Amino acid sequence: MRARHWPTHLALGIVSAIMLLPFYWVLKTSLTGENIFVYPPALLPVDPHPFFFVDVWYAIPFFRYLVNSVIVSVIVVVANVFLNAMAGYALTRDFPGKAATILLFLSCMMIPFQVTIIPAYLITSKLGLLNSYFGMALPLMSTIVCIFIFKAAFEAIPKSLIEAARIDGVPDWMIMFRIVMPLTKPAIATNVILAFIWSWNSFLWPLVIVRDVEMQTLPLGLSRFLSVVEDTTGALYAFCVMVLVPGLVIFLLAQKEFITGLTSGATKG
Amino acid sequence: MATGTTSAPAQDERRRAPAGKVSFLASQRGRELTLVWLFLLPSLAIFALYRIIPMIWNVVLSLEFWSPYKPATFAGLYHYQEMLFYDDAFWEVVWNTILFMISAPVGIALALGVALMVNRPVRGREVYRTIVFMSYPVMTVAVGIIWQWLYNENVGLINYMLISLGVIDRGIPFLQSFDWALPAVIIASIWQVIGFYMIILLTGLQSIPPNLYEAASIDGASPAQSFRRITLPLLKPSIFLCFVVGIINSFTAFDLIFVMTGGGPGHSTDLLITYIYSNAFRLSKFDYAAAMTVANFLLFVALAFLANRLAGGDAGSVKREA
Repeated sequence: MRARHWPTHLALGIVSAIMLLPFYWVLKTSLTGENIFVYPPALLPVDPHPFFFVDVWYAIPFFRYLVNSVIVSVIVVVANVFLNAMAGYALTRDFPGKAATILLFLSCMMIPFQVTIIPAYLITSKLGLLNSYFGMALPLMSTIVCIFIFKAAFEAIPKSLIEAARIDGVPDWMIMFRIVMPLTKPAIATNVILAFIWSWNSFLWPLVIVRDVEMQTLPLGLSRFLSVVEDTTGALYAFCVMVLVPGLVIFLLAQKEFITGLTSGATKG
Repeated sequence: MATGTTSAPAQDERRRAPAGKVSFLASQRGRELTLVWLFLLPSLAIFALYRIIPMIWNVVLSLEFWSPYKPATFAGLYHYQEMLFYDDAFWEVVWNTILFMISAPVGIALALGVALMVNRPVRGREVYRTIVFMSYPVMTVAVGIIWQWLYNENVGLINYMLISLGVIDRGIPFLQSFDWALPAVIIASIWQVIGFYMIILLTGLQSIPPNLYEAASIDGASPAQSFRRITLPLLKPSIFLCFVVGIINSFTAFDLIFVMTGGGPGHSTDLLITYIYSNAFRLSKFDYAAAMTVANFLLFVALAFLANRLAGGDAGSVKREA
């Protein structure tokens, strides 16, 4: 009754090829450029060279975009870990209005951020945060999914530990940061990776509030480069590769946490 | 799990003195409540600023004549009338959005196939899983750029493969064609999100108790039968979840469409979200765009509700039947 596996391998091999082909194609193009005049297009890279990557480095303020992206992502990640842990910790306590707060969080989850952009833009402009790192980070600084991930992680910690510390006279906020949070490293890791990926890839929001070229993040720079360079060159695809690699590397390193976070969030929602 | 952090609580056992119990509790309770709300405050403020107030503001804005340059005046349902009766593009865009949303089951079906295969004890399944999932966390803007390159009329890989297979004679300018642009964008979007569907479905598959299958096979059920009678019914919640992800994808597809087609040609790949963006931030018609945002949100809620009813109703009936 032991099933033969080669048909499964064959099918999965085909699926994998389809999933990988776009990545391969952009990598190939970034190394060889495009030859519109050569038909058929070469499937293997012919005379690969790294010059398009050099172009990107010198012709585009790539480093500037990178720094902007990193700054926004760091703000988002740090804020997420602290704010979500705090909110998650609060939700493990009994207090009047708890059910209403949870309901509020759950209903906020049903509002896609994209449908709020117009008022969100107006609010941010009233706050004077257009064109700023903080303005780009602010809407992403707390995530409901991650609040519930923290809540679940905190609830798994034995109550007696917290009680003991409290009776010992440790202030409540210190219990949270010094005793409880160090025990929930997996939740923190999940939150870090989710927040990072979301902020790293975020496009619509910076597009709406950033006017200044100096403040643009990588996705904005990428889309701007696409529209500036109408006849696309290899540099565009080299740019693509340079943008994709950090995200992919971080995903591959923290794949487990990322998937846990997504699925636990998904089953909650 | 607990390493190094247990030293503080360990000491307290001796110090459990019952001194001033009542007043201690009272003040403790007060401090605890303050702390709870202080801890909740930042998150609540962010959600109020960027979820709740915007939703209300959208509705208010949609009932006003408003622009950044002049004070607001009451407009009644003017924008809704314009939207429903005078803006031809609106209906095209709504139709595109619905097509985009209801194309989700195609991706879900494909993902289910992959999930079933990856769920089998084949060697290297983690590798396959990673490869399929890898397209999900990458930057959508980059995905858009890659795919518009794949769709290129002259040197795009897709046209080349179709010509080599003898399906077509000459390259199709997919993204410039009124007929092909939307399906082309949808395919790219499915390519990106399929890994997420697969992960959700895998989680669902792994929560099905294996002894159900054993019992079914002892009873002489064929694999197809146990798929229909066990797997599908028990997978209903996961499938519903995938569908919600698919609907939400019609919002996040903004990045993809902005890069690949910019909504064109004409409005043939404009979704509500991209049309809202261009009305608000290109034409400065914030009030009109707000009215369309309200419509977009209602469409989203209606479809999610419908899917929920379908999933819930069906799941119940099948359970009873089995």
